[in-house]
Amino acid sequence: MSAKDEILERVRRGVGKDRFAERRAAAVASLKSAERGPQPTMSADLVGRFRAKAEYLSSTVAGVAMLAEVPAAVAAYLAANGLAGEAVATADVGRLDWAGSGLRVEARPAVDADKTGISGCFCAIAETGTLMLLSGPDTPATVSLLPETHIALVDVSRIVATMEDAFALLRAEHGSLPRAVNFISGPSRTGDIEQTIVLGAHGPCRVHLILIGEIS
Amino acid sequence: MSAAGRSQAMHFHARAGEKVRNVGLQRALQKAKPLFVGKRAKGIAALAEDGLDFELLRSTGKNIRNRTLADLDVWLDIFEERATASGAEVLWARDGAEVSRLVVAIARRHGVTKAVKSKSMLSEEAQLNEALAAAGIRPVETDLGEYIVQLAGETPSHIIAPAVHKTIGEVEALFAKEHGRPLETRSSADIPAMAQEARAVLRQHFLSAEMGISGANFLIAETGSAALVTNEGNGRMVTTLPKVHVVITGIEKLVPTLEDFATLMRLLPRSATGQSISNYVSLLTGTQREGDHDGPEKTVFILVDNGRANLLGSDYQDMLRCIRCGACMNHCPVYFSLGGHAYGWVYPGPMGSVLTPLYTGIENALDLPHASTGCNQCGAVCPVEIPLPTLMHRLREEQNERGLRPWSERLALTAWAWLAGKPVLYRWFARRAARYLSWLADDSGRIRILGLAPAWTAGRDLPVSSGRTFQELYSARKKA
Repeated sequence: MSAKDEILERVRRGVGKDRFAERRAAAVASLKSAERGPQPTMSADLVGRFRAKAEYLSSTVAGVAMLAEVPAAVAAYLAANGLAGEAVATADVGRLDWAGSGLRVEARPAVDADKTGISGCFCAIAETGTLMLLSGPDTPATVSLLPETHIALVDVSRIVATMEDAFALLRAEHGSLPRAVNFISGPSRTGDIEQTIVLGAHGPCRVHLILIGEIS
Repeated sequence: MSAAGRSQAMHFHARAGEKVRNVGLQRALQKAKPLFVGKRAKGIAALAEDGLDFELLRSTGKNIRNRTLADLDVWLDIFEERATASGAEVLWARDGAEVSRLVVAIARRHGVTKAVKSKSMLSEEAQLNEALAAAGIRPVETDLGEYIVQLAGETPSHIIAPAVHKTIGEVEALFAKEHGRPLETRSSADIPAMAQEARAVLRQHFLSAEMGISGANFLIAETGSAALVTNEGNGRMVTTLPKVHVVITGIEKLVPTLEDFATLMRLLPRSATGQSISNYVSLLTGTQREGDHDGPEKTVFILVDNGRANLLGSDYQDMLRCIRCGACMNHCPVYFSLGGHAYGWVYPGPMGSVLTPLYTGIENALDLPHASTGCNQCGAVCPVEIPLPTLMHRLREEQNERGLRPWSERLALTAWAWLAGKPVLYRWFARRAARYLSWLADDSGRIRILGLAPAWTAGRDLPVSSGRTFQELYSARKKA
C-alpha cells in the first residue's frame, strides 16, 4: 500500500463518513461562495488609514500628484538618506523618465549587489498598511527582496480595505495565482535575540512608499 | 529512529529540576515572558478599534478549522488536484523517517549540496537536518533564532522564538566562533550589529543553495497554495532563489479558501507576537511560470501524517485545529519556569504536553499531561479555542485506564475512591486527617515536611487550615 493510500485510509476512518463524491462536489461548490469572516469597520478614508498603518510598521511615506512626478520624489528620498542614485526596477515602472531626475535605473531582476529596488504593487491594503505584489515576467520578486532599500509605488486608486478585498480584485483581474503573491508590511525585522526588535533581517532594511494621486 | 525513541519526555522531572537551577535560562525567560504577554494583549485589544470582537473572530477561526477537519479526506483530494494542476508535485509521508527519505531523494535527483531552510517544526519531528547531513547535504537554518540554535547544536525551545532560552552573551560567543572573529562584549545595544552579521553570512547561503525547504503555515485547498508567514524575509528567500522548493507540512494544515486564510491571518500574528500582520506573508503556488526570472523550477509538497490522522474522530481531534501561534506556551506558568527543552521533544508548553504523548506514545511522556497548574490561561488565549487543559485531563485519565500510573498512586486513588463511597467513614477519616495536618504544622501554620509525601514539601511549604474539616466548618456556619 502506498503512503498516500495508507494515510488517506486513516483519514477516511477518522472522518467516518461515506459518500465521498457527494461531499467533494459540495466542498467544491462551497468554494465559489467566497464567504468572509468578521470584517473590520474602518473610516472611509482608506488612503489615510493605509498611510498611518504603513508608518506604524516603520515604512516611510511620501505622496505625489501624478506618475510623472515619481522619479523626482525617488531622487529626493535617495539624496535625503545618503543613498546612491542607482536602482534596479521592475519592468512595469522601469519605463518612467528616471534619467531626467539624474537616476540610473535598470529594469531587470535584482542581484545581491543592488542597493535599491523600485517596484509597483498589485494593490495595497488599508487595514494593515500592507502591499500586495505578484511575481511575473515584468515584476520579478527579487526587486522587493534583495536590495537594502525597497521603494514601492502605490496608486491610491488601488488601495482596498482588507485582504479579502485584495483577493476579490485578484480573482477579477487574474484567473489564477502567480507563483508568488507577496504581502509586504514594512521592512524585514527579527526579535530572535533577547526579543529585541531589529529592522533589516534578511529582506530590506528600509521601505519607502510613494503614494500617487494623493490629495493632501 | 522512531519519534518515541529520541523523545526525552520521560526525563521531564529530572530536567525540570536542572532547568529551574539554570541562572542564564531563568534570566532569559524572565525577560521574555512580559514581552510575549504584553505584545499579544496589545494586539488583541487593538481589534476593538476596528469593531472586531476577538471572541467572535476566534470562534470563526475554530469553525473554519473544524469544517476542514470534518471532511479532511475531501479537502486533501481537492488540494492535491489543484496543487498538481499548478505544476507542483505532491508526495505523502507516513512518518518523519519517510519525510527524510523523500527529501534526501529529491536532493540527490537535483544534485543538491546545500539546502536553506525556513523554520519548520515538522522538520524537527523528522530530524531532517541529521538525515540531510548524513547524506552529504548541508542544511542551513535561516530564521535567526533557528540559525543560533543550529550553531549551538541544540533544538528550538519555543515554536516561534526558537532561541528564547539564549542570552545575548551566549549568542555572541557562538557568532564569534562560527564567523571566525574575536569575541567582543556585546550588550543589547549591539543586537542590530549581530543581526547584520548573520544577514551577511546567510545571504551567501541563500544565493548558493540549490534547494529551499520550508514549512507552511496553511495550505489553501482552493488554489493549491502554501501560505508562509515570516518577519525576517527568510521565507521569501528560501522559496524564491533556489531552483528546488520543498514544502513539508502536516495534513491538518489545510483551509478551504483564501477568505478562510484571511480570517486566520487576523488571529495568527496577533496571538503569536501581537502584530496585526507579519512583515511577509507569501502565497506560493506551483513553480516558476513562463517568462518568470525567479521562483523554483521544481516544487514538491510533502504531506505528512506522523500521528495526525489517528487523532481524527478521537477524543483529541480538537488538537488538530492548532495553528502553531505559541500563545499557549507564552502564557503558561510551567513553560516559563522551565523553558521549552524540559519538555523533551519538538513541541513545548501546553500544546506540546498534548501533542508529545499523542505523537510519540502516551507511555513515553507520562509527566507532560501533569505539567499543568490547571489555570487554563492556555485555553483562554488559544485563537482556535482548543480546550488544552481538558485534553491534558483526558490524557491523565487514559494513563489511569491503561494502568500507566505508578502503583502507589493507583493504590492511593483506589483507596480514596472506596473511602469516598462511605460517608460516615469518610467523615471520620477526614476529621483525623485534618487534626493530623494541623498538628504537623509549625507556629506559623505551615507544614515544612509532609510525612507521607516529603517530596511535595521539598520545594515549598503546605499552609494548613484550622484543623477542622470542610463539613465541620459548613455545619458550624449553617447554625450561625
